[in-house]
Parts: sequence; C-alpha cells; structure tokens
Amino acid sequence: MIFHDLRGFLDELERQGQLVHVRQGVRPEPDIAAAGRAVTDLGEASPALLFHALEGYGAARLALNVVGSWANHALMLGLPKTASVREQFHAIAQRWTRFPVPVERVAEAPFQDNVTTEIDLFALLPLARVNPMDGGFYLDKAVVISRDPDDPENPGKQNVGYYRLQVKDKNRLGLQPVPMHDIALHLRKAEERGENLPVAIAIGTDPILASVASAPLRYDQSEYEMAGALAGQPYRVVKSDATGLDLPWGAEIILEGEVVCGARELEGPFGEFTGNYSGLRRQPVIQLTRALYRHKPIFEQCYVGTPWTEVDTLIGLPTCVPIYHQLKADFPEVEAVNALYTHGLATIISTRQRFGGFAKAVAMRTLSTPHGIGYCKIVIMVDETVDPFNLAQVMWALSTRFDPAKDMITVPTASILPLDPLADPPGIATKIILDATTPMAPDRRGDFSRPVEIPPGTREWTAILGDLWAKAKAGER
Amino acid sequence: MSAICPRCDSAKARRLATAPVDGAWEIFGCPVCFFTWRSSEPDSITDPKRYDPRFKIDPQRIDAIPIVPPVPGKRPQSS
Repeated sequence: MIFHDLRGFLDELERQGQLVHVRQGVRPEPDIAAAGRAVTDLGEASPALLFHALEGYGAARLALNVVGSWANHALMLGLPKTASVREQFHAIAQRWTRFPVPVERVAEAPFQDNVTTEIDLFALLPLARVNPMDGGFYLDKAVVISRDPDDPENPGKQNVGYYRLQVKDKNRLGLQPVPMHDIALHLRKAEERGENLPVAIAIGTDPILASVASAPLRYDQSEYEMAGALAGQPYRVVKSDATGLDLPWGAEIILEGEVVCGARELEGPFGEFTGNYSGLRRQPVIQLTRALYRHKPIFEQCYVGTPWTEVDTLIGLPTCVPIYHQLKADFPEVEAVNALYTHGLATIISTRQRFGGFAKAVAMRTLSTPHGIGYCKIVIMVDETVDPFNLAQVMWALSTRFDPAKDMITVPTASILPLDPLADPPGIATKIILDATTPMAPDRRGDFSRPVEIPPGTREWTAILGDLWAKAKAGER
Repeated sequence: MSAICPRCDSAKARRLATAPVDGAWEIFGCPVCFFTWRSSEPDSITDPKRYDPRFKIDPQRIDAIPIVPPVPGKRPQSS
C-alpha cells in the first residue's frame, strides 16, 4: 500500500487498530511529553496517538508516535504488522536496490490551500516542550530541504534531512546542522559565497519520506528518489515558486525561508536520542518568509529521550540498510547490519568469512562508511548464523567466540558526533571492534568442531505449535 | 509585556504570543539566551529562582560558548 500523505497513513493505522484518538483535554506541558514517553513504553506494537484538544489550541491536532513501533513501521512498508525486525530489514534492503526512481512532478499540492507571509508559529503549530529542560519549543519531526549552492540544478545533491529546529520567535528558528550531515556542507558553501541558504521545512509528511530523511545516503543520492524506491512508485513532489526546491506533495505544513549567512545564536539544550541533554552552542538561524498549509493541518512531533522512543524506530532500519549496502559492495559475505542502538553508536554485523581475520576487515570498513565516521563507536561482528537483531544470540556469540586478548581493536581519537556524551573533546571518541565470529583458518583457536545443531523437525514443529497456540488463544481446544 | 528570563535572569524577555483560543496561556521569549517558556508551565520552568541551576546561563559567558559549525571565510571574488 502506498501512502501519499500522513492522513492516508493515519487512516490505515486506524483500520489496523494502531491509532488512538485522545479527545480529552490535555495540557501542552507536561501531558504531551509524558504521553510520548509512555506510549513507546507500551511495547513493540504501540499505537500512534492523535490529540484533538490541547489547551489553548482549540481544534488543532497533534500526532505522536506515528512510526514509533515495529508494528506501525511494518504497516508503513505495506507488510503485516507482525513482521519481524529482521524481515523488515531485508524488505528495505531489497527495495533499496531499486534506487533511483525518478520523481513524479505535479503543479499543485494540498498545502497550497493556505499561503501566508504573516507567519506566527505559535498560532499555527500546537507546540509542546519535549523534555523539561529543553531550551525552548522544538520541531523535531520536520524535514529540512536544501540544495547545493554550487550545483543547484543537481537533484541528487538536493538534501532532505532531519535537523532539530528550535522555535525562537514567530518566524525564526534555530537550526542544528551536525557537521557530518549534508546540510552543513550546503551551509558552508553558501557562507563561503556570502549568501543565505534557501530552505523549506516540511511538517507532517508521508511516513516513507520521514523514514528516508533519516537515512545516511551518499551526498549525491536523492532522498525523494530513494523514497520512490521504498514505496515502489515515483515520489510526488511540487516545485516551490519561491525557492525552486522540490517539496513533498503530501506535507501538512511547509515553512519557507533562509539560513542567515554568518548568523549564530544560542541554541539548546535539547533532550537527545542519547538519553542526555545536548550542550548549549551558538548555531545557525533560519528566518522564515512564508508558510503554506492544508486545511486543519495535523502537526506531527515525536518524543525523543532515553531509548527506546519513536526516533529509535524511525531512524533504525534506514540507518542499518545503507551501511549494509555500502559494506556489501566490497564484501558480499555480509548478511545483515543492526545499527538500531542509539542511531548506530553500537552496531552489530553478521557476516560469512572468507578466511581468518576477515570479520575484522569488515569491521574496519564499517568505521569508514559515511555513517561510521560519525557513529559506530562499538562494532560487534558475529557469524552469518547469528541474527544480529536477536540480542540473546549476539550475547551468546560474545560469550563464546570473543577473546579480549585477540578479538578487540581500539581506535583512539576517532571522529564521533558531538552529541555523544562520552566524547572528549566533543567530536572525538575511542572506537572499539569486538570480533565475536568463530575463528577461521589460518586463525586456529579454540574448539568449535562439535556445535549443538537445531534438532531435525524444529521448523515443522514451530509451525505446528504456532497453529495450536493461535487456536488456544482463540478459545479452541 | 516584559518579563524576567527564568534561565539567564535577563529583564529583556518579552511576550511572544497568547493562546490562539481562550487565552489559556502566554508564551515568553528571551532575546539574550533565546529561552522560551509558557506561562502555564510549572514553577520549575517559569520561576527564575526555581529554575534548575545546572541549566542556568550567565549572559556574561555567552561569548565563550562554542560556535557550531564555524563561520567559514568568504571565497575570493573571481574577476
């Protein structure tokens, strides 16, 4: 199933019993943050929430936790909501190979129904503080679109990404461009040219774009063309008559403006996905010039904090899959990549081995992938027979295959994103590789010649018992 | 309408907005440290004396806070 907008996906979630309407009156603070935290604690099938009555905001609607569970994530992909994480990983990995799928260009979009240059974000958006000590109200599930100022006609270099946005005034935002991310490169080029950087901000998009926007694509890969690959049909965009940027057709709200050349203002702190508040820094600002929005727009946010929260589900597999394909290009033996934990600060990779020491080579290559240079602080290598998404199996491999004297490599003073609370100084960390694969010739160590194998007939019995259990739950004897 | 910033104690904070419906709250912003808050939030957020001291800001030290990313030099103009 293809979802062209957030509303279509919310309808599907409702049909599947994965959407909860909150019609009782709620306070922006502390209720929204508390509900955002609480809903992800309901487990791997937690529902999306749609608030209808926020104090002071009348009938404005706020959506939370839209892709905050593996069940909702599976529905986003058109899979059964019971699909396992590993099944979802391989579904994305397979669709990834369809890239690039050229976009579908149309002239009109629903967000063009309302256009204003008199922007008042406090009236337009039902804002709520995400964590108590945040420096302000944030847009934390909005994608920022920008182009390379030196190559503005190159659609591949147009970037669609998540960058936290602090609401500083009615028409002014703070922007956090992490140096490893594409928008930081766009901004540097604009400032070298002495120019402002035009941007568009899309709030409340279809879930596939929301997912792809978090993926560490290569610099010249288009998020829209990747969204088309994952959705199985061209992604629909509308060219802005103000900036020339391609805008997602189904967005609830579009904000247009410019990153102001040379301007830096205090930004933060913000309770981040690391489970810590970020530091306070002087960062770029966006001056907004125009807002476009659908009738009765739905504002979308996500709760961010100590994992697990919506952001971990949202960015998890789109982080895993590009690393997988980048490794697979050189090492076809790689089976799967689990970079779900804290955006891949800890990454687990399963691989077959060509010869002794091979897994360590794959691990070192991981550190130099586009995502690895800013994340992948801990890389754990496991055999192809170990499911990297099954932590019980991973811990078994570490317990029985890992020798600290011979299977551990540390890399001092490596690059890391500044948000890592252990970075010292910010941006620098020690990285570690833990090789928990079975030693292979000529690396002859230990005795792994008599493994306990799965008893014959186990697969058949898994099906038999699953069927009996389903009948038992249905009340049949 | 002016106010004291709970985070940096500046007296330059001002009202940025009132609730679009029913005037349930007001939002204030500080032009010194860019903190914003809603009048309906708990005292631990709105009261300068009760704001968590670990998150307070001394306006005199703002210039020492890191700039990220740094502002690059301009490219030479080609003639």
